Amino acid sequence: MSRSKLERLKINVPKLPTTAVGSYPKFPYLLEARKNFQLGKISREELFELEKKATRDWISLQEEIGLDVLVDGEMYRGDMVTYFAENMDGFALSGLVRSYGNRYYRKPIIVGEVRWTGPITVGWWKFAQELTQKPVKGMVTGPYTMMDWSFNEFYPSRKDACLALAKAIHREVKELWRNGAKIIQIDEPAISARPEELDFAIEAMKTVVEGVDAYFIVHICYGAFEFIYPRMLELPVDNFDLEMSNSSLDLVELFRLHPFTKDISFGVVDVHSHIVEDVETIEQRIEKALEVIKPEQLWIDPDCGMKTRTVQEAVGKLKNMVLAARKVREKIDG
Amino acid sequence: MEIFAANHSSYPKIGDAPDQQTHRIAYARWERGEISDEEFEKIQDLVVKDVIEEQKRAGIQIVTDGLIRWYDPISHIARGIDGCEINGLLRFFDTNFYFRQPVLKNRPRRKQPVLLREFEYAKSVTDMPVKAVMIGPYTFTKLSINMSGLGFEDLVLEVGKILAEEAKDLSKAGAELIQVEEPAILKNVNEFEIFKSAFEIITKEAGEERIILTTYFGDVKPLYERLLEIRVGGLGFDLTYSPNLPDLIAKVGCEKDIWLGIVDGRNTKMEREEDILRIVRKIAANTESRRIFLMPSCGLGEYLPRKVAFKKLVLLSKVVERWKNEQEQA
Repeated sequence: MSRSKLERLKINVPKLPTTAVGSYPKFPYLLEARKNFQLGKISREELFELEKKATRDWISLQEEIGLDVLVDGEMYRGDMVTYFAENMDGFALSGLVRSYGNRYYRKPIIVGEVRWTGPITVGWWKFAQELTQKPVKGMVTGPYTMMDWSFNEFYPSRKDACLALAKAIHREVKELWRNGAKIIQIDEPAISARPEELDFAIEAMKTVVEGVDAYFIVHICYGAFEFIYPRMLELPVDNFDLEMSNSSLDLVELFRLHPFTKDISFGVVDVHSHIVEDVETIEQRIEKALEVIKPEQLWIDPDCGMKTRTVQEAVGKLKNMVLAARKVREKIDG
Repeated sequence: MEIFAANHSSYPKIGDAPDQQTHRIAYARWERGEISDEEFEKIQDLVVKDVIEEQKRAGIQIVTDGLIRWYDPISHIARGIDGCEINGLLRFFDTNFYFRQPVLKNRPRRKQPVLLREFEYAKSVTDMPVKAVMIGPYTFTKLSINMSGLGFEDLVLEVGKILAEEAKDLSKAGAELIQVEEPAILKNVNEFEIFKSAFEIITKEAGEERIILTTYFGDVKPLYERLLEIRVGGLGFDLTYSPNLPDLIAKVGCEKDIWLGIVDGRNTKMEREEDILRIVRKIAANTESRRIFLMPSCGLGEYLPRKVAFKKLVLLSKVVERWKNEQEQA
């Protein structure tokens, strides 16, 4: 079904397109620059130049590796929710909150009406797309995750907050599309957290994509899919980008019971592991996917964003992933 | 009836102020191998003392050690279990906090006590009542990977025996309040009997009157009456997921201590004293409970900035003050 949409939108990708979920590790020079910026040692402009350099470097690396659909790598973002909250009206930032281990972040607080005040990611998407002939995904964090990962001191309910965010994020999505983004990914890792809220999460997604003729991907990870599948297929998107390897491909069994009706970006490398999976292991995972998914539905990518890996690990995983996808492609084409 | 203000379980290890970074800095140095386990432990002791003093300053009557040494509520206890390894990170229920998932590879056996030393240290640095906290056997097993060769039910019972030893140690060391957390049962009501059998191993070993069976992150209403059947001293609830629970408690009644998770431990928005008091009045007027404890809905250490965590505890202590004034005037 979505193959025809890809063709109609003139998105040229091979069978089993390879892509990444969104974030890549920041290069040491950028980590240093971010630290120096926090300490007031370099200006915003100096940091911006290094963020551009890092984006260029990742685009080059992705082309060398041979990915089919690229991402900008999110060199300019810290946290995926905080970044959008900082660039919209209606948010403040909290004190430090623990994420896991010794990691802390500043969680957004909704303190007023949430409003989109201008493009947030469009400039970065355009910058990245101009560096390559391959399609670059537009990437935004979805309204359900924005709501769930923020404190809410303003809206009377979680649903109200989520639907208000959907309107704001729709503006960003529309702006990406107007500027030429044909593939737009909405990151919703939290969407499986509360199955009882799936109805309004779907309603919010309808608002986000309304009137935008792009190929939409929703990224969901590390959740209890068993509670929201197959109902999650009602999300009005073309492609579900799912973490599969971290959960030992358990979802494949669910797909045997209820066939997967949309395209899927199937996570074939574990982003929480330092181990670089070998080509054969990844090939086996792709073959496993093909037991329940038709080749024309299947995209290949890592489980999630790779920002917690080293550059070397990320490149290693992506290289093997691309090699494995090519080998399976050859087998399919005979 | 008496009303008290209490902490739930964890408390933020760090704050925003420069002098509240001790734990974070030491943790990073320990991870890099720059300080030894013993040196890190000493620093954690100081942080425990600090957060206990902070809870006291907030005006509450029951403190915890803030679970400062815990990586997360699940994997911490695993260090005391032989045949248990630690796997990757997994989302903790519907939160944006991640725990390390245990893998039970053999029939589990107790390797060493985990909580005793922590409790004894906390007791030694304060004259206030300290509530001990531990995960329950059902939730621990439910969130672990079972490669033990045992069936799930047998495994829960084996874990129950180990955790009962932990609770018994705490009991012997003078813990009069032991909170055993079983959030996973709320989403798996059909396994209630398994949960109950394992839980009762703990109450039998440690003394039922000391044990507080606590749930969170789910609506407890469908299970409320069955929870009353369990022989424990107290029941703890997360009212943010069960806003109508006070009506049910008032209707059905309760003879156990009630631990009301009445301020949202996952949102910075501050509740109004009057709203909390209204709920307290309703429950107090309609139950036989000897004591009601007001606490946050869940541990504060993973979900709130320290400044806000402190304010939430201050709020609880103010409500208790107002309640006492009302009683004196009545």
